[in-house]
Amino acid sequence: MLQRKHRGIEEGRAYWAMVLPAFLIYVLVMAFPIILSVVLSLSNYDGGKMFGGDAWGFAGLKSYAQVFSDPLFWNALKNNVYIVLISVFGQLPLGFIFAYIIYRKLVKWPGFWQGVLYIPNILSVIVVGLLWQTIFSPNGPIAEFMNTIARAGFQSKLETLFSGAGGFNITDDLVRKMLNLAGPAASQWFTDPVPELKELILSYQGSPHALLINDLCNLFVQKWSPEFLSKPDIAMLPVLFVILWMYTGMYLILFLANMQKIDTQIIEAARIDGATEWQVMRFIIVPALSGTIVNSAILAISGSLSSFALIFAMTGGGPSRVTEILSIYMYNNAFLGRPNLPLANAISLIMVLVSFALIGATKALEKRYGGKEE
Amino acid sequence: MKKLFIAVLIIAVAAAGGFAQEKVTLTVFNYQQADQAGYAEDVAIWQKFQQDNPDITLNIEVLFNDPYHQKLQAYAAAGTMPDVFYVWPGARSAVIHEKKLAKDLNQLLGAAYLKDFSAAATNPANQLGKYMAMLPQSFTYTSVMYVNKKLLADNGFALPKSYADLKKMVPKLKAKGVAVAMLPNKDAWPMQSCLFSTVVGRMAGDDFMDAILAGKARFTDKPFVSALEVIANMYKDGILSREDVQVGYGEAAGMFASGKAAIYIDGDWRVGAYITDKASGKALIAPGAQESDYALLPFVSIPGEKNPGVLSAVAGTGWAVSASIPAGSAKEKAAVKLIKYLYSPEVQAIRFGTGAYVPTRKGVKAAVEPLVAKVPLFYADNSKTCYVIDGVLDPAVYNVINDGLIAIGLGTKAPAVVAAEVQRAYETWKSTKK
Repeated sequence: MLQRKHRGIEEGRAYWAMVLPAFLIYVLVMAFPIILSVVLSLSNYDGGKMFGGDAWGFAGLKSYAQVFSDPLFWNALKNNVYIVLISVFGQLPLGFIFAYIIYRKLVKWPGFWQGVLYIPNILSVIVVGLLWQTIFSPNGPIAEFMNTIARAGFQSKLETLFSGAGGFNITDDLVRKMLNLAGPAASQWFTDPVPELKELILSYQGSPHALLINDLCNLFVQKWSPEFLSKPDIAMLPVLFVILWMYTGMYLILFLANMQKIDTQIIEAARIDGATEWQVMRFIIVPALSGTIVNSAILAISGSLSSFALIFAMTGGGPSRVTEILSIYMYNNAFLGRPNLPLANAISLIMVLVSFALIGATKALEKRYGGKEE
Repeated sequence: MKKLFIAVLIIAVAAAGGFAQEKVTLTVFNYQQADQAGYAEDVAIWQKFQQDNPDITLNIEVLFNDPYHQKLQAYAAAGTMPDVFYVWPGARSAVIHEKKLAKDLNQLLGAAYLKDFSAAATNPANQLGKYMAMLPQSFTYTSVMYVNKKLLADNGFALPKSYADLKKMVPKLKAKGVAVAMLPNKDAWPMQSCLFSTVVGRMAGDDFMDAILAGKARFTDKPFVSALEVIANMYKDGILSREDVQVGYGEAAGMFASGKAAIYIDGDWRVGAYITDKASGKALIAPGAQESDYALLPFVSIPGEKNPGVLSAVAGTGWAVSASIPAGSAKEKAAVKLIKYLYSPEVQAIRFGTGAYVPTRKGVKAAVEPLVAKVPLFYADNSKTCYVIDGVLDPAVYNVINDGLIAIGLGTKAPAVVAAEVQRAYETWKSTKK
């Protein structure tokens, strides 16, 4: 009996000797920060005496109330919902369809397409963000293209006005027509539009006609600028597009790998029985991959809620915070200006809870409608 | 003989010990980093002091950015302040000013010494604790118009003095594909710091901002709203381009240098972007052109302004002496000697030459490029200053102003709406302070 007890103590000691290092690391790196985060979110920590603040104490749910009453939080949450939706209903279906097409060899060079679709996923997130920021900027290629088209159209209308007036015959009527063509904003640049514009045009007398047209286009053609990107909701469109472009490849690889586990004889048998490609996908592939789809959805949801770097590089959450997401909202409160650490920790916990809720819903749907993987 | 030898040895050791007691050790907390411009010169400056003053030993600790501020806070909390340390005049070093952890340099250095510095630098009102906890090495004007004189002259325009002058330029310059003025505001803070603060100073004044902080005025009152309206009008009148709201801070300097705008509005620190880069030997604006083609001007007069000519400015960083050093002690004398050395014309000339800042010490000369040489002249010509908004308001409030200025620039919000949002943010912030 004594021997058994002694052996038990020895085994316990051996067990803890082997488990303790990893357990300590887990507690220090994972468990302690989570508990500290919860504690901070319920406190009025302001740096403490160490950093010039008062001693901190329990503040209850004050930070949570502040978060829920802040319109910026709801804006950020809404933007995150958009990202979750594009991830779950954009990346996953697209990734699945591409994987199916490649798996069923419905295109030539499947390896090439697989590579091309996956490459955006391996690029540096910051580089991608800055790249697309440049593309969408007022001096970027899209703006350049739109400006060229707008300029060509305006120039053509201007030439029509001049030919209608019989050349360089500058009358008040012609000037008024030009101002109408330019739009109401242009008139704001003059104190007295008609005489001032007339004087400006007359200063070109003797100069080549092309120079006058060029300069009038410079003056009046409104430079295309993605101003609509400053509108809430619409401003998220380029961000959602880039997310779709960047991460679809990852789900393609996931689905493709799992499709290759399916017994091809089942598919051949179905095809022999007259099943179409759509029926093969609907009744064989999708049910077989339902677990993978759910796991991918969980990955998509958690990735969407924690995304930071891409949007920070692309828009910084701006302009005027219209593309701010929860992680950037948390960052701004934690590190910018006068840090509010209780508030930032409250936001991070809310993000975790939202994540749990969405993942729980996904699991419930899978239980209800999912098929079984063989 | 042996006893004589031992006696001589004891006397020598005592004498050495005595000499050693005359040696003073000062702890110095320096703000520096190896990748900063002027690092090598900074190292040489400290070495020279130690070579010239063998009776003073310096224990120098060097940190940068947030680690510096956090360590300084830790020293303050522990009650072990360094003897001489680098400090900000405002909220960045709030604990030093609020807890009076630095000696009053007005008393320590004396009026006779301080008369060699600009009035703005020696004005205690420009520091958070309203006493001279430190002596600003520079006084930064956050609002300067960099004007391409040649481009204006080529288009028949003189240097602008009024808002009307700027508006008159719009049609002709736009026709040439040139913006009248450029102020990149994608990063949100430039408009507030580099123009709006000056406009508030002109339209409302520092008294109004003090009244707001004292609860006797509101952001929705006419003075503040009219300042926002000036900015809105600048976009509406075409003086500023709405596209600039989406231009990053780093992009705009090059655009101005390449003639995309006649005027560029930024702080005085931006001269550094245009002068010759020591590493590459290239300059955005060649020194010859800096002299002949460019000017630094104050922002133009605004219709309805109450305080003509004021420009937003803020005291720069400098050195402080720990309040815990006993008055009249050898340590205090050594600290004063070090401070006077750091602010000497020779050291300030070195700093000026690296382009680090323009010294508040008068008459400092250095071999600098023409654009940098224009900065002290700009200071001398524009002595009236006003608050920089992010130096007097809490981030919870001025961040709302920043966002509101972006919305005004995009044309998505009216000035009155922005003013109301700022007032709400201020009231929310005040309620958290109770």
